[in-house]
Amino acid sequence: MSLKELLSSTTSADRFLFLLLLLLSLSGILFVKEVLPGGSTVQIEANGRPAYILPLDKDGTVTVEGPLGKTLIEIKNQRVRVADSPCSNKLCIEQGWVKSGTIICLPNRVVIRVGDHDKSTTVDATTG
Amino acid sequence: MQPRDKYRIALLAAYALALNSFERLLPTPIPWLRLGLANLITLITLLLYGLRPALMVTLIRVILGSLFTGTFLGPSFVLSLGGGLTSTFAMGFALYAVQGLFGPVGLSIIGALFHNITQLFLAYFLFIQRFEAILLVTPAILLIGTLTGAVNGVIASILINNLKKPAKKIQNGN
Repeated sequence: MSLKELLSSTTSADRFLFLLLLLLSLSGILFVKEVLPGGSTVQIEANGRPAYILPLDKDGTVTVEGPLGKTLIEIKNQRVRVADSPCSNKLCIEQGWVKSGTIICLPNRVVIRVGDHDKSTTVDATTG
Repeated sequence: MQPRDKYRIALLAAYALALNSFERLLPTPIPWLRLGLANLITLITLLLYGLRPALMVTLIRVILGSLFTGTFLGPSFVLSLGGGLTSTFAMGFALYAVQGLFGPVGLSIIGALFHNITQLFLAYFLFIQRFEAILLVTPAILLIGTLTGAVNGVIASILINNLKKPAKKIQNGN
């Protein structure tokens, strides 16, 4: 089927609908990119493996399993903390609420990163 | 319903199921991206035999397909049932309410559009409940849906043209 036959097999309403939806969705993609700057995410690694990627703006708790046992991580009011950990020094709990950066619990091998997940892979700067 | 109609529905539902399963095997860049090949059969059924057979084919495809993959009554079953039924009704409505306005391509795009919108609504109300997340994916899903819908519509019109050909020859022969 040639392109000409293809076009003649569609009605003008078909073509209009196709172009309209194409235009709407493309402008929608651009609009959403402008309006939503991609909220921060909490990336949780346990035992060297990525366990969770959670949005920072949704409150909740999550537990991950490390070599020593379960670490309880809490997200509240755009911040994240380790609420409970089986490690001996409890440095991760003492670090408290974190808005950005990382919480690392070495004994239980839990790493919590807070940041913009999408922008972490982009280039810092380029030279001409 | 005539026995012949039942056979037709069974055959078309089998085609839809086969395409549905085949589609699952195709590697896609995004896990939820589906080409909607099963909708092709719904569209052809609708155009050749009408809305009721098309609904039957869709129902059989969704229910049996979910039984085969073990997702019966699960989240993906709810999504595909809702999407399948609304897209069939929307295509039927567009075909009968404004006759001759839309060809197979337009109907297929309408089907894809309603399928995606229903699934987004269901996903929002039943499972995700994060408005920004839905808002973020909606335009991309609509874009992909429009493109795959158009491709399916082109395939459907080619198939229907070829299905009509032998019938014409027999008529001419007689």
